[in-house]
Amino acid sequence: MEKQIFESEIGESYTLATLDNGLKVYVCEMPQYTSAYAVFGTKYGSIDTKFSKNSGPAVSVPEGIAHFLEHKLFESEDGDAFTRYAKTGAMANAFTSFDRTCYLFSCSDRFEENLDILLDFVQSPYFTEETVKKEQGIIGQEIRMYDDSPSFKVLFNMLRAMYKNHSVRIDIAGTVESIAEIDAELLYSCYETFYNPSNMFICIAGNIDTRQVLKRIEESVKDRGEVTVGRVGFDEPQEIEKSYVEQKFPVLTPVFCFGYKQRIESPYRRLKSKVCVELLLEIICGEASPLYKRLMDEGLINDEFDFEYFTGRDFAAVIFSGESRDPKAVAAAIKAEIASIKEHGFDKRLFSAVKCAAYGEAVRMFNSVEEVALQFTECAVSDYELFEKLKMFKTVSYDDVLKRTDIFDDSLSVLSVISPLEEA
Amino acid sequence: MLENTTELSNAAKGNFIRTERFKTTYISYNFYLPLDREKTAAFALLPFVLTTCGKEYPDFSKLNFKLNKLYSASLSASAEKVGDYQLLKMSISVIDDKYALDGEELVVKAAELLNSLVFEPNAENGAFNAADVEREKRKAIEHIRGELAEKRIYARRRMIEEMYKDDIYGIPKCGTEEQVAAITPASLYAAWKELLSRAAVCVNVISSVLPQNIFDDIKSRLSLIDRSGAITVKDSTPTRAIYAAKRVEEEMDVAQGKLVMGFSAEVDPDDRKSAPFTVMCDIFGGGPYSRLFTNVREKMSLCYYCAASGEKRKGLVIVDSGVEDKNARKAEAEILRQLEAVKAGNFTDFEFESSKRSIVNALKGYGDHQGAIDAWYTVKSASNNPVSPEEFAQYVSAVDRQSVVDAAKTVKLNTVYTLKPKGDK
Repeated sequence: MEKQIFESEIGESYTLATLDNGLKVYVCEMPQYTSAYAVFGTKYGSIDTKFSKNSGPAVSVPEGIAHFLEHKLFESEDGDAFTRYAKTGAMANAFTSFDRTCYLFSCSDRFEENLDILLDFVQSPYFTEETVKKEQGIIGQEIRMYDDSPSFKVLFNMLRAMYKNHSVRIDIAGTVESIAEIDAELLYSCYETFYNPSNMFICIAGNIDTRQVLKRIEESVKDRGEVTVGRVGFDEPQEIEKSYVEQKFPVLTPVFCFGYKQRIESPYRRLKSKVCVELLLEIICGEASPLYKRLMDEGLINDEFDFEYFTGRDFAAVIFSGESRDPKAVAAAIKAEIASIKEHGFDKRLFSAVKCAAYGEAVRMFNSVEEVALQFTECAVSDYELFEKLKMFKTVSYDDVLKRTDIFDDSLSVLSVISPLEEA
Repeated sequence: MLENTTELSNAAKGNFIRTERFKTTYISYNFYLPLDREKTAAFALLPFVLTTCGKEYPDFSKLNFKLNKLYSASLSASAEKVGDYQLLKMSISVIDDKYALDGEELVVKAAELLNSLVFEPNAENGAFNAADVEREKRKAIEHIRGELAEKRIYARRRMIEEMYKDDIYGIPKCGTEEQVAAITPASLYAAWKELLSRAAVCVNVISSVLPQNIFDDIKSRLSLIDRSGAITVKDSTPTRAIYAAKRVEEEMDVAQGKLVMGFSAEVDPDDRKSAPFTVMCDIFGGGPYSRLFTNVREKMSLCYYCAASGEKRKGLVIVDSGVEDKNARKAEAEILRQLEAVKAGNFTDFEFESSKRSIVNALKGYGDHQGAIDAWYTVKSASNNPVSPEEFAQYVSAVDRQSVVDAAKTVKLNTVYTLKPKGDK
């Protein structure tokens, strides 16, 4: 086991251990807290629909299978993990996103017992045709629930208009039809490929003892033999599918997502580049920006307005979202503001203020054991060092941020709108 | 954790909750007023208007700029229903001075900012600034309309409206669209005056140190206001049991139906006496070990969620689920069957103990979140002897099976609300 210790100026430190089998373990002791939070995750999400194992032939699997596997892993031959956690009182859950699946718990005591449960069930797959069938009913209802969510629909409609081939365009839970194709054998095959320690990570923060935790993990995480995952490329062209997409829905105010697809050269974005884009977004339309004020004064946005730099393996886009009586006017105003910034730059005072705020946010994150553990998952998937961000705000310059306006290309922008069923 | 309580004025107190855990200081103003059909909309709008601009910051961009310079100090506003009362909250959270990069004073500045926003609004001649009021009214109306898009929230709200048609608890927490539209700069100013003079007030400070003079400052500001008529928070009117349950059905263009069931329950809101009610609701439909999760979801595979929650101040239990319309009756029958099982004591020791452990685990973790600490002491400040989360955890641990059965026996079906997909029979 290799160990590295990282320290910060704000009094926090953590250990990153890499086990011989490749598993990465992040541990942050936060002894002033009562509770602790642990995540056992794998770099396997909804976008992994085509892959190869150990240089074998590439296989395609049904949409939504990573999420289905997440549901099923809770069951073992001798009962389910929820029943085991019920004996300790821990709160347990799991989630699947585009590029990862995470199993987690939070507890106020009996941490090591809970950790044992987590380590054990994630390493003990048990799928039968009967249990797979049962889950199709439950997940079917989960999918139907999302079918009624405008914020979910408007995002995926935008992604489908933006990406022609990349799997980021498919729903994380799949469709009722695609999950009907899932069987036990397929689940085992995905498990054996992606649930190998070398593709996994454990992230822990809170009232715990690093040495004991590492000892337990080392004893418990089995070596499952070497597995090389072949990630088949998405063959995604640079251009978008279409620039406007609209769907009618039972809403009273239109809901929108306005995104810019970014031309990318490498699978992942570097942290500095992410930080610069995030600062730039605050300058374009953060709450202290001139554009935000104009949009608010003109009655075009409300408190639902938001933006994010949406990026993962082989995809990157900037997304502005919210509710508006006139989404096209919002999109036009954002485009105009970006053009103006490209030409004239931006207010240096605003730049210093948003940098200050971003630093404050980075400090605030350490208010929560959950936040720290979840940030570690980001570190593991994107290969960042947790404290790097804190340091970056001291060095990032006006020009660094201005340069990032290059990611906005109007010909790659997409507006997705959910509009009311009948025009009022 | 609650270190001390300071009298700030008649029916107004300041709680200092000392904790070394956090990198931030959190301060909240909490105003309680009785729910009132005519005034709820105006009171609910106030926290939002007051936290967007003030006399010192008439322009919200300048205020937001200032918050950025305070290292992303975060101002929040909310309006909630707590029993028969409206709870209006305004809060600020700011990183502690020691983390400032250039030695700036942050906490005192943030505390002063919040005080000035509460007491010195952007108003003159007995009226708020008209543009500010119009903007916040528009946002409030869009928020009310936006709720229709979130079907689970919408269905729960509709069930409560139907169940409490003749009870003040049935009114929407931020008023109706029409009521918001009718607010004027002058009527809002009058509401602000009433808020400061008549509301029961609790100010919570959660920090490693009490910011200097904070309570003295508030005290002197409140001393300029006639608070002789300030209210004290009393118990809410309990929900009465009825013989025949009401059924309400609505159709909408949705993929998945929603089933929401409202039950009345007899609960003594005193913390020690209400612990069995809390455990009962959790065994019925709390965690993954609960009757509803293991039967309606896992065994029958009818839904993704089916959960019960309790509001002890009103004696209310709500069960909600997202189900295919064709399965709604089956789910309803099973929910009632599981309730009968709890009433009959037909729950296992495992379910009983799991439930208590899970509640205790959550209560012990309250101290790890400033928001949870604030919420706890805000609600508790309305009672005469506030207990801590740890004390309540002890009450929960002491609950026995019989008291759970007794609590369940008072639960009676009142209203069944179903949201059905259009044309789906």
